[in-house]
This record gives sequence, structure tokens and C-alpha cells, in this order.
Amino acid sequence: MAGSDSRPFFLNLIKIRLPVPGVVSIFHRISGVFLFIAIPWFVYLLELSLKSDEGFEQVTRLLNQTFSKLLLIVILLSLIHHLFAGIRFLLTDFDIGLDKQQSKNTAWLVIILGIISFVLIMFGVCS
Amino acid sequence: MSAPGLQGLRPWIIQRITAVYLAIFIIYFALSAPSMGTMTAGEWRAWAGSPVNTISLGLFLIATLWHAWIGVRDVILDYFPNVVARLFVLALVAAVLLGSLLWGLKALLLML
Repeated sequence: MAGSDSRPFFLNLIKIRLPVPGVVSIFHRISGVFLFIAIPWFVYLLELSLKSDEGFEQVTRLLNQTFSKLLLIVILLSLIHHLFAGIRFLLTDFDIGLDKQQSKNTAWLVIILGIISFVLIMFGVCS
Repeated sequence: MSAPGLQGLRPWIIQRITAVYLAIFIIYFALSAPSMGTMTAGEWRAWAGSPVNTISLGLFLIATLWHAWIGVRDVILDYFPNVVARLFVLALVAAVLLGSLLWGLKALLLML
């Protein structure tokens, strides 16, 4: 560990300037945890919606509540980011987009495609 | 488990295979399922009840839970160095996922 004392050692998250690929990576993880939390809720909604007509109506009413809509938006954002970032990681497994500049570009691409898809889906849902 | 050097490889591969299926199914679902705002209970049941869709949904359920297990396990291994806390959280996650599996299978069995 000689000479390693001069390493910048701080875990102040605000001070750490994470590069874009790092941002994509940490949000892949955070969105993954959100999606995990959403699983039981979605399974519950799936069962209820298929059980009977009343169940289906119940799901419709539930999803029309403002709180549910907010949850759905968070889950949608998570899903979109997780999907695009996941595709990017799969490509890196095949050694595609490994050099520094490419990795930066594809990270931005994930973010931009994510925002565009989100806006398009919200437009489709609201119109 | 017989080859110590390969222990992480199996989940790593399963994570990626399930990822590909999940991506394909999500796109298929978005394109083929009746649109959420306007569909009726009957349309929804007809979609989920067609054999191809019931099976694809079942596979989607299993792939999702498996993918989530590996992913969340990785996260837990990173953030819970204390073995007791780690085992507790892992068990909790496993319980949630297995419960979801049973409940999801119940939903799909309604289609038979």
C-alpha cells in the first residue's frame, strides 16, 4: 500500500463526479431494484385482472388513482432505462463499444433513447 | 459447484439469457397486447388465454423472477458485508420472489 495514502479517499457522493457510463451503470442497478419491488405488485394485478370481470374493474380503478399512476411512471422509467442500459451491457459482453469514447457515446445514447421512448409512450398513453 | 473457478459463471449466463427473453417478450407484449386504456376484461382474458400467450407469460414470469434473483443477490452481496444481515435479506428476497411465483402461476392456471 506504499504511496497509496495520497489517493483521494472520500465517499461524499456529491463530490464524486461520476462519468456518464458510471451514471448509466448505477441507474441500471437502482432501476433493477425498483423493478424487483414492482414484481409482487404486478403479479397481484395480473392475478386480479384475470380472475373475474369484477377483478378487472378493480384493477382499472386501482390504476386510475394518482398514486398508482406515479408508481407506473417510476416503473416505466426504470424499465426503459434498465432495458436500454441492459442491451448496452450485453453488447459490451461481446466486446462492442469498449473504448473510452465509444463507451461515453453509447452511454449518452442509452439516456437519450430512454427519454425519447418515455416521451413517446406518455404521448401514446395520454392521447 | 465442483469447479470453484466457475461458480459465478452459471448465474452470469442465466442473467444474460433471461435478459434476452425479457427484452423480446416486452417488445412483443407492447406490440400485440390490447392497448391498456381501452381494453375490456374479455379482450384481456382472450389475449392472455391464447395458448402461445399463456406460455410466453409463464416463461416471462419465470425469467423475470430468475433474472431478479441473480440481480438483487449481486446487489445484496455488495452492500451487506455482515453475514447474518446478508442471509436475512437474501431470504426475504427469496420469499418475495417465490411468493410471486406461486401467485403468478395461480393467475396463469386460471387461463386453463
